[in-house]
Amino acid sequence: MNYDQPYWNPVLETLPRKTLRELQLKKFQRIFRWAYIHSKFHRSLYQAAGLSPEDIRTFDDIRRVPTVEKAMMRDIQRKDPFPYGDALCVPLEEVTVFRQTSGTTGQPVYQPDTWQDWEWWAECWSYILWAQGYRPSDRVFIPFGYNVFVAFWAGHYAAEKIGCEVVPGGVLDTKARILKIQELRATAMMGTPTYLLGMAETARLKMDIDPARLTVNKITCAGECGASIPSTKRRLEEVWGARVYDHAGATEIGAWSYECAAQPGGLHVNEAMFLVEIVDPETGRIIEEPGRRGKMVVTAFDRQAQPCVRFDSKDVIEWDAERCPCGRSFRVIRGGVVGRADDITKVKGVLLAPSAIEEVVRGIKGLGDEYEVIVDKTGHSETLRLRVEILPEAQDQCAWIQSELEDQLRLKTNLRYDLEICGCGTLPRYEVKAKRFKDLRGKKTE
Amino acid sequence: MNPTLDMERMHLSIQCARQAVEELKRLGEDFPAVARNAERILASLQMLEINVSDILDCGLAPTKGR
Repeated sequence: MNYDQPYWNPVLETLPRKTLRELQLKKFQRIFRWAYIHSKFHRSLYQAAGLSPEDIRTFDDIRRVPTVEKAMMRDIQRKDPFPYGDALCVPLEEVTVFRQTSGTTGQPVYQPDTWQDWEWWAECWSYILWAQGYRPSDRVFIPFGYNVFVAFWAGHYAAEKIGCEVVPGGVLDTKARILKIQELRATAMMGTPTYLLGMAETARLKMDIDPARLTVNKITCAGECGASIPSTKRRLEEVWGARVYDHAGATEIGAWSYECAAQPGGLHVNEAMFLVEIVDPETGRIIEEPGRRGKMVVTAFDRQAQPCVRFDSKDVIEWDAERCPCGRSFRVIRGGVVGRADDITKVKGVLLAPSAIEEVVRGIKGLGDEYEVIVDKTGHSETLRLRVEILPEAQDQCAWIQSELEDQLRLKTNLRYDLEICGCGTLPRYEVKAKRFKDLRGKKTE
Repeated sequence: MNPTLDMERMHLSIQCARQAVEELKRLGEDFPAVARNAERILASLQMLEINVSDILDCGLAPTKGR
């Protein structure tokens, strides 16, 4: 087998755009028909919109298909066929694995998968890992608490499928994980940016181990948008001495995007497996042109137990104008997922994306990786507090750092902050998805 | 597309494999070790179909020799 082949699928990943679009239309028609026939929930949704499978002939027809929101899934679940409810498209005995969403935005949504769906998850991840240079010679360490969240489960299975040797880091604590990487000379790793930065900090400060001197040469990040935020990516790459790649996926959707080895400053959408549409939140129109942000509506073409058809993910993305030098014809979303529509909030009348604050904090030398943003309201005025940590070796530059931070924040977010510079190790550390943005407005009793 | 990839032949091999495994699954109706392993192979075959057959089924892929 030719391990120099840069593409997991050299046909689909390089299809001419016109052919790719034709394939997408056919695959959309197939999954729409599947959902219409097998899911009571989807059928009644489509019937209410006056749509049947025969009506889907063009991309304009696809745009008439009603979107599905997470709240709708919550409403139909915890009912028969228990616990998935009316969107289940297969007999319950064909469901082989249960997952659930993290519940960050409310009650978790359950996700049933058949064995075929699970193969499909691993297949989507195989596109990711192959594009990022994973090969059978790799020993992949996965520092992830294997549980009901899908997180890196499919990455594990995909690495096995590719032929890598997988070391499940399961219930080991952070120090034990670092020692295992060292002991086994692992060459690759997967994790959330938050955890991997914290892991590096533990290695340096508590174990006197320089992570950059370990053998990890590539890292795949997921779960947060950090690895597409340039300053966070740079920190990760420096501290681990490895190439760091981003990937975005979701429990209800699948692994829909990946950064390739060319690191084009964004993520390829796997357009052979997913249809990604960007919708203008104001007008509801589809955004085709590069550089305009909107929210993602996504369809997974091959997922069967609980289909994902025009799911309103609320991820904020934009198309890149440039074609990636890697040769893939799959489009790139510039800067990865830049936020979630429900995270981008107005503070003092200005739209604020938390990722912009992360870009500033992690771009200033002398500041630690952790930070916390607290929005609050006193009377009629809103307050915005930013807590950061200063590294011990930068204590004497505190005044310069504070001034740099103020300038950069004003420039990048158009807002003024009450800054609190704390000592290293003061702010909370997170194992999985970090909760650094705290909006206390409306959470107090009047 | 890489001219050395014979998509049509791969597609035919996948179809043959599917027929063989579906037959195995039928034969193994009272033989769980056969039926369940056949079921798993079918799921893997579906991945081959997604990667190779779908594009041919849609009549979209240029193939070797065309």
